[in-house]
Amino acid sequence: MWSYIGKRVFQMLITLVLFQIATYILIDLQPGDVTDLFVGNPNITAAERQRIAADLGLDGPLYERMWNYLTNFYTGNLGVSMVQYPRPVGEILAQRLPRTLALFVYATVFSFWFGYVAGKFLAWKRGGRWEYATTIVGVTLYTIFTPLLGYILLWGFATKLDKWVRNTFGIDFDLPVSKFSSTSLWRKAPYDTNTVFNWMNLNFIILVVIVLLAFFLSRYVPRNRREFLRVASMTVPFALSLVWWIFFSGVGIYAWDLVIHLFLPILTLTLISFGGNMLLTRTSMLETLREDYIETARAKGLPEKIIRNRHAARNAILPVWTALVFSLSSTISGGIITETVFSWPGIGEILVDSVSNSDFPVAMGALTVIGVMTLVAHLIVDIGYAFLDPRIRVH
Amino acid sequence: MSNDNVIEVKNLTMEYSTRKGNVSAVDNVSFSIKRGQALGLVGESGCGKTSIAKSLLKLLPDNAMIQQGQIVLNGKDMVPLSETEMRTHRWSEISMVFQAAMNAFNPVYTVGDQIIEAIETHLPKVTEAEGRAKIETLFRMVGLAPEMMDRYPHEYSGGMRQRAVIAMALSCDPDIIIADEPTTALDVIVQDSILKEITALQENLNMSMVYISHDVAVIAEVSDRVGVMYAGRMVELADTEEIFIRPIHPYTYALMQSFPSVTGPKKELISLPGEPPDLLHPPKGCRFHPRCPNRIEQCDQEQPEWKDYGNNHFCACWNPMEVN
Repeated sequence: MWSYIGKRVFQMLITLVLFQIATYILIDLQPGDVTDLFVGNPNITAAERQRIAADLGLDGPLYERMWNYLTNFYTGNLGVSMVQYPRPVGEILAQRLPRTLALFVYATVFSFWFGYVAGKFLAWKRGGRWEYATTIVGVTLYTIFTPLLGYILLWGFATKLDKWVRNTFGIDFDLPVSKFSSTSLWRKAPYDTNTVFNWMNLNFIILVVIVLLAFFLSRYVPRNRREFLRVASMTVPFALSLVWWIFFSGVGIYAWDLVIHLFLPILTLTLISFGGNMLLTRTSMLETLREDYIETARAKGLPEKIIRNRHAARNAILPVWTALVFSLSSTISGGIITETVFSWPGIGEILVDSVSNSDFPVAMGALTVIGVMTLVAHLIVDIGYAFLDPRIRVH
Repeated sequence: MSNDNVIEVKNLTMEYSTRKGNVSAVDNVSFSIKRGQALGLVGESGCGKTSIAKSLLKLLPDNAMIQQGQIVLNGKDMVPLSETEMRTHRWSEISMVFQAAMNAFNPVYTVGDQIIEAIETHLPKVTEAEGRAKIETLFRMVGLAPEMMDRYPHEYSGGMRQRAVIAMALSCDPDIIIADEPTTALDVIVQDSILKEITALQENLNMSMVYISHDVAVIAEVSDRVGVMYAGRMVELADTEEIFIRPIHPYTYALMQSFPSVTGPKKELISLPGEPPDLLHPPKGCRFHPRCPNRIEQCDQEQPEWKDYGNNHFCACWNPMEVN
């Protein structure tokens, strides 16, 4: 297993270098550079612009600049932003990475899990109005243009729902529709946004680890207590952390502010891949239900719930998991669009920003981060597949 | 009928409803099996053997319906039971060895886990350790190394998988086991050793069995009694020796003729022309009459009666082979 992972990590490094070279060339092929921003300024002459370009290292031949960039990159120097000069690119990315990573991970986990559960029940209870309705919703979500979905949600939540809540309950709901936090609220905060946000993410990771551990350990407890342990592992730690955040953390109001800012971007990104996951699970489950081992399970007199969950859905998840590799790329590109629509200050937003300003080092850094995210996500999917399917386990 | 019958099937009729109409896959079939007895069901493909097997477990697709008849298992009629009620009888009283053993196991769980699962469902008091001990015994009985229970199905060969399927069928001590062509997909050498295994197990455990095969030779080896199926109907039922010596129905006779005898005198194999009828539109009268060499006028008019020919030998035919 470890030698397999080592081999894969080595392959990933090579892929990353190739990816950077290709990206560098593609960006270099674009016309213009950051000095074009000064074209309209009569105080800066053409000669002056050339001098600035030489200062920023934008003159020299392509191979020389690329060599410099790569050697700097692998010695830990990502360069400085040309627009926010002289802020280091590493700092800009480090500030934004947790946000984008969180957006990406939450959306992927939610869309996979809800898509899987919805698809499972759809296939199990075939026919009827529900099937038509959900299929139409699924196909719509699968094919919708991402910014359109973002704006529909904006319109629905920010204007319609807001008005409705105010008229019905008399409360100001005020769901934020953009940015990462409310500046006015955070002015008096004891910590900065990223610190609180990282605690929240840590909390989420701990919750997930507890659930996974409980499911793993539940095999070793007596049968009649398994279900209890599993349900408890999902509810008790969650309730405890809620209580901690509200009453004991002292930053509950700030955390809530981040959560409501997270809501719409995560919802948009989740919905984009939810439809595909649901439809695929449904198809795969229908296929699995025709397998001989399902008939064996029936003949054994097992309860329906066990046949559905332990036998049918457990096998139906395999193709959906494989397809996750493909849906990851759409989640990443969808993430860039979502961040832009909701002015969410993540990697995707800075990428769009830096590209339109010809801020070359930032664009290159953001693209590299996205490349690394894709590669790591693929590795995790591959390792996960080995856990899910004993037939492809590496011995 | 005496009370030592483990299962009694009376006038069982099962139909599949399709868009083109109803297909009568099992038509008015009756038989009973005593404790420790093995009944062989033989016939061409598509004549309702597997449909009978699935009806006995009530393991039918949504479009199949048991139209009439009774399946009395240990004194209780299974036909009116709901799916939930039926579940408690499956495997603990009646279990099945499947035709496609290659796919009978779920690929993502170890074989042992899948057997334990059945034990857990039907014998909730058995602990995991007891369950594993039981599987160990079963694996030894069917000729598998007990360590194999922690392996995944893809690590088994075809023959081993078939043995594991048999072990799984025995896991809840059923009174009757249905073996649906368990050896068809295997090569002859493995087939032979598994056949011997099945016969020995069935005799040692004093279990009843329904053995389904299209292979007359296999049926002759394993069963005490033979039922011959044609186009969803049972045409002849008798003890094994009796039916091989004195086949009464022309179809039974034709089946016997189409298989070579290794030890007996050389004879020409006679094959039966034609094929079984389309069950959407079965022929009127005796369903065999279009292919029957002994056909008389009555055959395409009326369904032949189920007659007793003595010596526990039953047959439905208007013009039987010469009874000597």
